[in-house]
This record gives sequence, structure tokens and C-alpha cells, in this order.
Amino acid sequence: MAERLIMHIDADAFFASVEQGFNRQLRGRPVIVGGEAGQRGVVHTASYEARACGIRTGMPLIRAKKLCPRAVFIKGDFAHYRAVGESLREIYLRYTPRVEFTSLDDAYLDIGDSAHLFGSPVYMAREIRREAEEKTGVSLSFGIGGSKMIARIASGLDKPRGINHITPEHEKAFLRELAVEHLPGVGRRVKEKLVDLHIFTVGQLAALPRLAVEQMLGKNGRTLWKLANGIDEREVERKVVPRQISRETSFPRDTGDEKAILGGLQYLTERIARRLREQSLSARTVGLKLGYADFSRAARAKSLERASSDGAEIFGMVRYLYGQMRLKRVHIRHIGVSVTQVRDKSVQETLFDGPRRAEALNSAVDELRERFGFMAVMPAETLQLKSRYRNDAHGYILHNPALTR
Amino acid sequence: MKFEDIYEPIEVITHFQEGRLRPLRFKWNGRVYKIRQWNGFWINRQGSNRQYHFSVQADNSDFVELMFDDADLQWQIARVCLDG
Repeated sequence: MAERLIMHIDADAFFASVEQGFNRQLRGRPVIVGGEAGQRGVVHTASYEARACGIRTGMPLIRAKKLCPRAVFIKGDFAHYRAVGESLREIYLRYTPRVEFTSLDDAYLDIGDSAHLFGSPVYMAREIRREAEEKTGVSLSFGIGGSKMIARIASGLDKPRGINHITPEHEKAFLRELAVEHLPGVGRRVKEKLVDLHIFTVGQLAALPRLAVEQMLGKNGRTLWKLANGIDEREVERKVVPRQISRETSFPRDTGDEKAILGGLQYLTERIARRLREQSLSARTVGLKLGYADFSRAARAKSLERASSDGAEIFGMVRYLYGQMRLKRVHIRHIGVSVTQVRDKSVQETLFDGPRRAEALNSAVDELRERFGFMAVMPAETLQLKSRYRNDAHGYILHNPALTR
Repeated sequence: MKFEDIYEPIEVITHFQEGRLRPLRFKWNGRVYKIRQWNGFWINRQGSNRQYHFSVQADNSDFVELMFDDADLQWQIARVCLDG
């Protein structure tokens, strides 16, 4: 059996890179995707030229404009990014059938059985990079190692256009000197805890007894200790069940119009339900997030009786949560719906007719949408949005088109 | 540099060959623009229909995104980038 060899490919500043790839005038210039300069909203992706000016993801667009006045601001187009993501998928699948697509712009490839066909893993990465740049203009960074974790860390170390191959004999030394925040699962809070204990490198964390780390960091501690010691047996899975699916949008202007808010929530719910059904998934817990005009936020979640992929059923819960939460007399600027406890859909979860009828209806709706576009069949309440947003057959073009999926 | 969404129907002289289409010239606001450079194209699936997007450079150096919708066989000028 060939040795385990995983390649992680990450597109560099993906949305900005797509824009630069398709418009030569943008190459070498700072590009910010997320919205127009004067528009409210945040930076979704910044090109490396913009990052050099201090622009970061999540920064308000107004601040980004102040920091980098010569930057080009682009609203973005998710359909375009998705199409480019699909081109990248096609390229990867030509090199190995074992590909795990974790998002539009990053993927794991199990190349244990195929790397030798291309000379070496590094040569294979160069070929993929050349092909992707030629076809899409998008630049990619590569990490190659014996596990998903090593590959992922390696791909992030030498961006943009980096290729890092960590051979098995160098893995321990590679991890030992690495700053602890490079480990997946080490966020701001965990890092603070570790720094308080004078643990700065992965090597220092690995040297601690496993039980001590577990005691310190709870459930996450055990996983982190294993990762710090280079133990990561996760396989490259062709189908990944996401932990959460969410859709969010901001209104162009703060609103108190219940019909518009509920219409927006139902539209986002329909998009989530369609994604669930497309991937034969269902979800049990429904979450609602509201952002108010005074910048306060509220969020609540509740579980359904059983997992569902039915838009009407999920929206019933969203409406319930909204009724429970909407107590402030302040306009709303941002709404979001999410589902968690996502699982593979079992064929029959109940003996009763109601859900099965809904499934038959959903399957008919999905067929119509497959043929005529998402907007072919819409719940009446979502038609409220027609006067607010431009739409095409694929859906409404929301306030933040870079994220309108 | 500023981007504007336009989405207006336009006339385009197109070269069709071996299942591929390539815009050559387009007329917008009474003026004919020659396409100087093709930057790339991508397809957006809308149900069973497809929208073909072309990122091109016109002869006045402006970046233009053209779109051909096979549902109504119509061209649109989707987006322009004005250098400035």
C-alpha cells in the first residue's frame, strides 16, 4: 500500500483573485470584495496588495477606504465565484478521484496512489497550479504531508502561490517549532489560555501529558494534544456533512417592516432547505440571528421534533423564534438563519403521511427549480422582496452579492 | 476605478464555431466597440438554461462583462469597469 499522502489546496484571497484573474486592469492593484466604498458592510476578501495596506476580512468598508483610498471596491458575484470553483473542481478531479471539497476555494486531495504518475507530489502541485492559473487566473497555495492537518498548516505558510511539502521524517521537527495558533482548533481564547501557561509552540504543547491538556481545555484538549503530536487519522472524505449551514444578509436600509423581514427570513430559509435537499441532508436545530440598527445583536436557536429539509417546516421554527425575539422597538439591519445538527437524510423518519407529502411536494418543487431556476417556485411571502432587490432566475441579488448563494 | 452594473440588452457580433461562441464587437449607446482582448469566460447555470459571461477589454481599454443568455438568445452588457 502506498504511503498516506495528502495535498491541501487553498485559493489565495479567492474572491479577489477571481476578480483579478478576469480583469487584467486589477492585477497588481489592491482589490476589496464586499461592497462599494461608501456602502455599509464589511470586507469579505482583500487581495494581497490590499492586505499590505492593513485591510483585513471583516473590517468595515468605510474603514478600509480610509486605510487604502486607492483600493478598488467590488460588490462581487457569488455565481461567478461558484463557476470558477467548479472549474477548479474539474481540474483537481483529473489528478485523483479522492477529493474532499471543504468549500469553494479549498480542498483536500488524497494523492497517495496518484502522485507517482506525475513524477513527484511537488511536480503534481506545480501542474495543478499552472492549469488553474491558465484557466481561471486564480492563484493557489499547496501543502503536502502525511495527514490533513500537516497539509493544511503547510498550505498556509507560504502564501500566495506557495508549495510546501513536509516529508514524514521532517514532520516532528516541522510541528515542534510552529506557533501554537497554527493548530486547527486554536482560536483566540484557547491561545490566550495557552499563552498564560507560557505555551507558545506546538512542541511545548505536545510535551505536556495528555490528561493535563484535557483538564485545561476540556473536550477540545484531547484533539489538540493529538494534533500537536502529529496524530491525525482523518481520511479524505468525498462527501462531507457540514456542521452548519447558514445564510445571512444585511438590508440596504434599516427596516422595521415585518413583511420585509419575514420575507427575507423565508427566502434565506428556502435557500438553506434547497441546499439540504441537494445534498440529501436534513437538520434538526434552527437558529435565528438579528442585527439591530443600534448594532446590538440577538440570536436564538431551537430544535425541531425531528430533522427536516422542508423549507416550510424550518421556516415555521424561524417564525416562532422571531416572535420570541422581536421585542426591541429598533429597526433591523441584518438577518441570518442557520441550521445545525446536520445529518445524512434517512429515507423514512416517520410512519405518518404529513412529512411524506411534504417530501413529495419538495421533490416536485426541486424538479421545477432544476429546470427553470430557483425563482420558478417561491413562497408568496418572499415576493415582498421584489420591490427591494433585483432578481434573476437564480434568486434575488441581495445587498451583499459576494455572499448571495 | 469604478464598477457599474448595467444589465441592458445589446447587439453583439458573435463568432460561433465548434459549439463555442466568441463576441467580436458590440453596440452600446449607439457606439460600436471592438473587442480587443478576451480575459476569460464562465457559465452560470440557471435551471436548465445557461448564461455565458465574457470578460473582455473593449478598444477604449474599458473592461466590460458581456452576458449571453441561452433562454432568450439575447446578449446583455452586464458590468463595466470605468478606469478612473
